[in-house]
Amino acid sequence: MRFFKKATYKQGIFYFLLALCCIISIVVVHHNEQFYDRPIAEIIKAEVAESEPLTDMYENEDYLFTQKIIAVLKNGQAQGQRIHLTNEYSLSGAFDQQYHVGNKIFVAINEQTIQSDVTGTIIDVKRDQTIVIIAWIFIFALLIIGRRQGLFAIISLGINVLVLSFALDLYVKHGNISLLLISGACAILFTIISLLLISGLKTKTYAAIVSTLLGTIIALLISSLVMWLTGENDLRYEEMQFLTRPYRTIFMAGLFIGSLGAVMDVSITMASSIFALYEQDPSISIQALKASGQEIGKDIMGTITSILFFAYLCGSIPMVILYLKNSYTLGLTLSLNLSLELARALAGGIGVVLTIPISQYIALFFITRKKVEG
Amino acid sequence: MNVIVLLAIILCLLMVVVGGRQGFRSFLSLFLNFGVLFITIFLMTNPKNSPIILTFIACTIISWISLFYINQTNSKTITAFMATMVTIVVLLLFITFVTKKTMIQGFSEESTEEISIFSLYIGVNFAQIGASVIIMSTIGAIMDVAISIASSMHEIFYRNPSISRKALFTSGLGIGRDILGTDTNTLFFAFFGGYLSLLIWFKDLSYSLGEIVNSKVFSAEIMTIFCAGIGIALIIPIASFINAYYLVRTREKTL
Repeated sequence: MRFFKKATYKQGIFYFLLALCCIISIVVVHHNEQFYDRPIAEIIKAEVAESEPLTDMYENEDYLFTQKIIAVLKNGQAQGQRIHLTNEYSLSGAFDQQYHVGNKIFVAINEQTIQSDVTGTIIDVKRDQTIVIIAWIFIFALLIIGRRQGLFAIISLGINVLVLSFALDLYVKHGNISLLLISGACAILFTIISLLLISGLKTKTYAAIVSTLLGTIIALLISSLVMWLTGENDLRYEEMQFLTRPYRTIFMAGLFIGSLGAVMDVSITMASSIFALYEQDPSISIQALKASGQEIGKDIMGTITSILFFAYLCGSIPMVILYLKNSYTLGLTLSLNLSLELARALAGGIGVVLTIPISQYIALFFITRKKVEG
Repeated sequence: MNVIVLLAIILCLLMVVVGGRQGFRSFLSLFLNFGVLFITIFLMTNPKNSPIILTFIACTIISWISLFYINQTNSKTITAFMATMVTIVVLLLFITFVTKKTMIQGFSEESTEEISIFSLYIGVNFAQIGASVIIMSTIGAIMDVAISIASSMHEIFYRNPSISRKALFTSGLGIGRDILGTDTNTLFFAFFGGYLSLLIWFKDLSYSLGEIVNSKVFSAEIMTIFCAGIGIALIIPIASFINAYYLVRTREKTL
């Protein structure tokens, strides 16, 4: 393999340390029950005791199973003791699941007098083990295939998550700061961090940063204007999930941050290609640059809007199915579940398309300035 | 007027102004893709249909529309289409395994209140639907990488027709790496925007780290992010290989 031959001493050490981290973290996560307050048990025996067909009021057919489970407690005072559990699950598994031998689960232990026969109820599955493994697959896939760029993508994801988490902490602790202000500040930080990591300290990066911010702000203004003009007609907020705060600001902030990535994508692609053309031939006319910029914009417009479209809309699939199977009408199901997502996708799309001419002109502006100076 | 209709009209106008006829086609393909997605969901409500197979068919039609309708049928779009399909099959197998293992199907504890009025025993396979959601969320990005790599590699090949298969493959990887960063970025932020209310929920109700990591809803979201990243990385070597193989083979045939 050429990859291994070319790897230098430094890279060797880097990959060795990474592999070490990987193994250590997986081993730790498999034996971290002591760090949890909640009782954890590992299933050693699971058998289906009963099964019965079931038809609900909408004539949906399903099967209901009852599982008898024996598990061994892995932490707490009763560590090592066996616990008897029952689990009811359906074949469709919308809210429940079948358990298998070897699964680790969070349980609640029932208070009781006889020591030998502990019983309890199942609360949830312990998922951290699998998450850590998938996380490592993700990291290795990005590093092995993407090398430097893969590493930067991971770093950028990490930093952005930290920034967002810190900003939300601020928001939750000091309720008087507006969420839009916080997400605005976040957006500026996200843009600078991500674009610098993607393309380095170059003029094209600065051009991309300026056009990203301009594009996002204008798109946000247009969507707010549209919402104001129409009186938010037909935006069904009542189906927004996980709400602890006023829904409108959360929706707008989500829209803002959500379209940011796509707008950045457009800005940096436009800036990179226009600057590359200029660097290949510094005597190229502004007119020619403008024309090729337009061509590039046409090519990327469709694909980037469809990335946003699918990323937003597909999340609602399970809910839509649940509604339809519960005999909701088609129109109501769609407007309840997809109106917000569609609005988000369309607003993001507007941002993407607007950013094409914006980034084109800003790149040309930077190049004209360079030409005048040089 | 309706918000969505007005936003859609604005988007359509902008696309036509900026992109001309191609812009209009892009808008139309968004519309068609929405139709395909919607029909797929509708077919998924029948328990007899396997959601995984439906997803595969839907992905085929969606890539067909996006690649052949917007960009016309030529050797570029054919190789891009092949690369997309191969990646989707590999990802489908991987994601089905992952969703089974993490048990992230269906609805979470956090949405108990909302779904309490529904009958949950509806017979459809939610584990497979969970896998479909993840794969369909990423298909846009996968196609984007596929078409970018295909057109750049064709360009390189025409400028330098005597290039070796290995050199062509390596340059394909290079192009892929350049778009890896931006495409993962686009998806990550799209997901962040969608999860904002969830993140505030976790903070407001002061979940501990252990509770967040093990909760079904967080696991589902983070799995989507990881699988999206893996998918984008995976298509780079696949698309480079298919293009290199195809281009060099056609040269050998014509010689």
